[in-house]
Amino acid sequence: MTQRRQPTGGLEGVGLVKRFQRGAETVTALAGVDLRVDAGEFVALVGPSGSGKSTLLALLCGWEVPDEGQLSYLGPLADRRPETLGWRNLALVPQALGLVADLGLADNVLLPARLRRTDGAAQSRADTLLADFGLAHLADRYPHQASLGEQQRAALARALLLRPAVLLADEPTAHQDRGHADRMLDAVVDAAREGSAVLIATHDELAWARADRVLSMRDGRVTEGAPA
Amino acid sequence: MTRPPLWRLAPWTRAPLLGLRQPAAVLAVLVTCAILACAVASAPLFLSSARSAALQQQLSQRCDEVARPQTGVNAALVDQAGRPLSADRSARPDVDESFLRGWAAAGYDAEPVLATATIGAAGPAPFPALVGRADGSFLSQPVTLFQRPAALDHVQVVARTDGAGVWVPESVADIEGLSPGDVLAFGDQQAPVAGVYRDLAVANADDPYWCDYRLLFLNAASANTPPPPMLLTSDEATFYRLATAAFGAAVRLQQVRVDASSLSVTDARRLLQVQQRLITASGVPVAWGPNDSAIAVPNDRLADVIDRATLIESGLRGPVVPVAVAGALLALVLVASAGSFWADRRATEVRLLAARGVGPVPLAGKAALELGLPALAGVALGWAAARLLTATLGPSDDLDPSATTAAVWTAAAAFVVGLGASAVVAGLRARSTAERPLGAAPRWPSRVPWELLLLLGAGWCWLLLRSRDAVVSVGYVAQVNGLLVAFPLLAIAGSAVLLGRLVTALLPRLRRWAGRRSPAVFLAVNRLTAARLATATLLVAVTLPVAVLGYTATLTASSQATLDAKVGVQIGATAAATTVTRLEVTPAIEAAGTYVVRYAGSVAAAAGGQGDSSGRANVQVLAVDPADFARTAFWDDSFADDSLAGLMSALTGPEVAGRLPVVAAGVPTGDPGLRLGAADVPAEVVATARLLPGRRSDEPVVLVAADRLPEITRNAGAAPTAELWTNGDPGTAIDALTDAGARNIRTLTPSGVQESANFLGITWTFGYLSALAVFVGVIAVGGLLLYLEARSRSRVSGYVMARRLGLTRGAHLRSLVVELAGVAVAGLMLGGALAAGAVAVVYRRLDVDRVRPPTPLLDVPWSALAASAVVVIGVAGLAALYAQRGADRADPATVLRQDA
Repeated sequence: MTQRRQPTGGLEGVGLVKRFQRGAETVTALAGVDLRVDAGEFVALVGPSGSGKSTLLALLCGWEVPDEGQLSYLGPLADRRPETLGWRNLALVPQALGLVADLGLADNVLLPARLRRTDGAAQSRADTLLADFGLAHLADRYPHQASLGEQQRAALARALLLRPAVLLADEPTAHQDRGHADRMLDAVVDAAREGSAVLIATHDELAWARADRVLSMRDGRVTEGAPA
Repeated sequence: MTRPPLWRLAPWTRAPLLGLRQPAAVLAVLVTCAILACAVASAPLFLSSARSAALQQQLSQRCDEVARPQTGVNAALVDQAGRPLSADRSARPDVDESFLRGWAAAGYDAEPVLATATIGAAGPAPFPALVGRADGSFLSQPVTLFQRPAALDHVQVVARTDGAGVWVPESVADIEGLSPGDVLAFGDQQAPVAGVYRDLAVANADDPYWCDYRLLFLNAASANTPPPPMLLTSDEATFYRLATAAFGAAVRLQQVRVDASSLSVTDARRLLQVQQRLITASGVPVAWGPNDSAIAVPNDRLADVIDRATLIESGLRGPVVPVAVAGALLALVLVASAGSFWADRRATEVRLLAARGVGPVPLAGKAALELGLPALAGVALGWAAARLLTATLGPSDDLDPSATTAAVWTAAAAFVVGLGASAVVAGLRARSTAERPLGAAPRWPSRVPWELLLLLGAGWCWLLLRSRDAVVSVGYVAQVNGLLVAFPLLAIAGSAVLLGRLVTALLPRLRRWAGRRSPAVFLAVNRLTAARLATATLLVAVTLPVAVLGYTATLTASSQATLDAKVGVQIGATAAATTVTRLEVTPAIEAAGTYVVRYAGSVAAAAGGQGDSSGRANVQVLAVDPADFARTAFWDDSFADDSLAGLMSALTGPEVAGRLPVVAAGVPTGDPGLRLGAADVPAEVVATARLLPGRRSDEPVVLVAADRLPEITRNAGAAPTAELWTNGDPGTAIDALTDAGARNIRTLTPSGVQESANFLGITWTFGYLSALAVFVGVIAVGGLLLYLEARSRSRVSGYVMARRLGLTRGAHLRSLVVELAGVAVAGLMLGGALAAGAVAVVYRRLDVDRVRPPTPLLDVPWSALAASAVVVIGVAGLAALYAQRGADRADPATVLRQDA
């Protein structure tokens, strides 16, 4: 695997609050979240369903705007607005994966490089990721022709392709068997070791064990450490 | 606890309301059902509209009275012994009153419109006697005593007095020495001459008031033997008093005024039924019998017009019904697609139900319940649209009630079939989404080229057509053979699907090529490749209307151009005035058009084809003015290799060995041995054409410069006729000839040339086909929107993520344009090629009048086709903007939190 260093960064949220209106009811998804993920750090975010993990990730990648609090990126990314961050700065694996339905799995993995016109240079890394994640034989399949687990691995491979400064992933191993989950976690750990700031929302206890830190989330609040 | 039956469960009992929660699916079903209903309902409505228009158009070309149902009798006003039948000889006879009462009882307001009596001529009257003068002498000729309300408002008064009496024509007054105040005797009754009017043939021949009575004052066959002069009575009582006294046989009519411009066939038939009932009830026979003293005079012309209108309609039925069926089948595919769309939109619930073992039939039932209301609304809308479109764009907006009822029933059938098709497809689709394994290969039915059946059908139609006339004339009504419509439609549809299949089979190669192109092209090609069936469907949906429109527009333009050419060749120009009078060309004649003298000529049989026993073949020789002939004469470039101006310059060229240069059609170059009548005219055919303007028979035509033609004496027997061809007002040409001294001028106009045949059926057939093409275009747009909507979820999801990956908005919009415009351009090219092929095969067989040359011409309406291409590409561009707008409005956090 290439050892080229990537732009480092990280992110920090202070007092993040996010509310949603559901009919007449106001739902507070995030109730003052403080967190920080530094470059080279692998942080696992754990918590029950509905605790606000996905909302927090959406907010951290800029798809949602906090009602209160301050979100900032660290290091070379400081002072950058979320929508200005490219895939090399901030990559993510959303809950719905976001694979382009009309592209094969290999083309999906390579797409970030193709859009930057660097697909030639990124081809070998894409092939490596496909092979590592057990997708080489499915390269030409469309997402709907692959299982959910295979789609999930393709989405993580796409996120890792350009060695992002910040990697956010929403339950990336949720549909994996143990073997594939281990390989995916290996790749995530490697990314962190190469300088990426990694935050993954997960229910996978093995992921907690591999993480540098664990943050627990409940009722829209984050606390340090694994849940009891 | 007993489990309730399936249909009592919430997914089914709440289905009608659940369906409303999917506005896109509701809209899809509503619109597609509307298109289906419009397709099937339009056929009976169009046929009715065409029938009404055929009736109205024929009536508009004839006198108003042709449309009016009438009763009346032709009977003597006295018995065999000469005694008046009526006690009051000034009163209207009882039978007339009973007819009027009969009309009133039937709800119609009839009026006595005419009473004529022939006096002094042989006829049904037992004692013909001439009109006498006060001095006991008689007029020198029989007369027609004429009574019609307001007749005196439609004459040109020469002299008059006040009071009742008779009005005599000016010519009779001159010959007989009559003037107002003179007294005329009709049997034992007298009446003063109340006025003198200018002869109707001179002053009022074109007055619509007299249209139906021209035979009473004009003899179209011979101007030398005019009909008996018409003596107009000032009032009805005077008419009956004089006619009875003169033992005149009188025709009396009662008519119902109708508006012929809005008359439908059903209305006309109803009126004729009442007419027939009244005539039958009167007991008056409709034909003279040996002992009859009276016959009924019903309107028997309206029935002929109705029959002709019905004939035109029946001729249309052959092409229209298959076209409507084809349109309905296409629309049904769209409705079925809407069912599939519903299954996609309701994927979560139907997958769950399918996973719990619910089969395709209950799922189809659920779909039917959810889609029933929108389908019903759509069918109602479609019926209303068909009604509105037919009334607005159809041949006539007067539709028979029976057609409207038939349209309602066909729309109801469309509802049942459409809802059933969408439900079945929805059920199968819903079930298959749960049962199909990942990466499964397509099922075998999708691999079979079913479209070959369409091509086989087209071939069969073509074989049948080879042994039959493409255009037939039944009762002078030209009708398009239904095979001429079915063959190209089947061929175009089959070829379009086959080509669509082949083109999409090549998409994987295109995908590899696109891998080396810009992101926009890469994404567009991959989208097209990923959904090959949708791409093929969209491609066919664009190809079909383009091909059908191109085919119908070209054939319509070609048949019209051919018809115009036939008329133009026959007349020589837009109109012609002819006379046998020999005259000098005046400046007014030169200004009105081009002056031509036509001679009966002959050529040696060897030159002019098959000759008679004398070895000569007849030709028509036209002496023309080369300086202005080409400016006025009708011409089509297919008539000759050279232009008409070029041929004219040949006429002005040098003599060939002392012989006049002439141009001929049907005579080869060289010395033809030309004679005009019996006069030899040394001539040399220096240029030839396939056809020349002014050809009015199957004889060859020879053009010669008039100023170089030697004097042809009368005793040569060349029967010269002077003709003034014009592209302007024929009246101006007639005036110019009249001023130059011409007499007995006849005019040739397009309507006169075409009156022997009715081409409405052909015009409307292709009009309906064009409407079909536009309709298919609407289906294509509907299909395009379904295509976009059905794929919007994956496209928006992919777009949102791709934006994060680095895709710019501009690149995405370009990819949409490449995707949709690419299909549009491919569809245009394929459609254009198919249309060209169909036209090339068919147009030569579409000869609307095989009696007259030329053979069918090809006229491609480039502007209409270009406009269609612009519309297609414009729609593709708008669709791209629509899709981009939908993607831009997506909320990434929401889109990417949905289930994968």
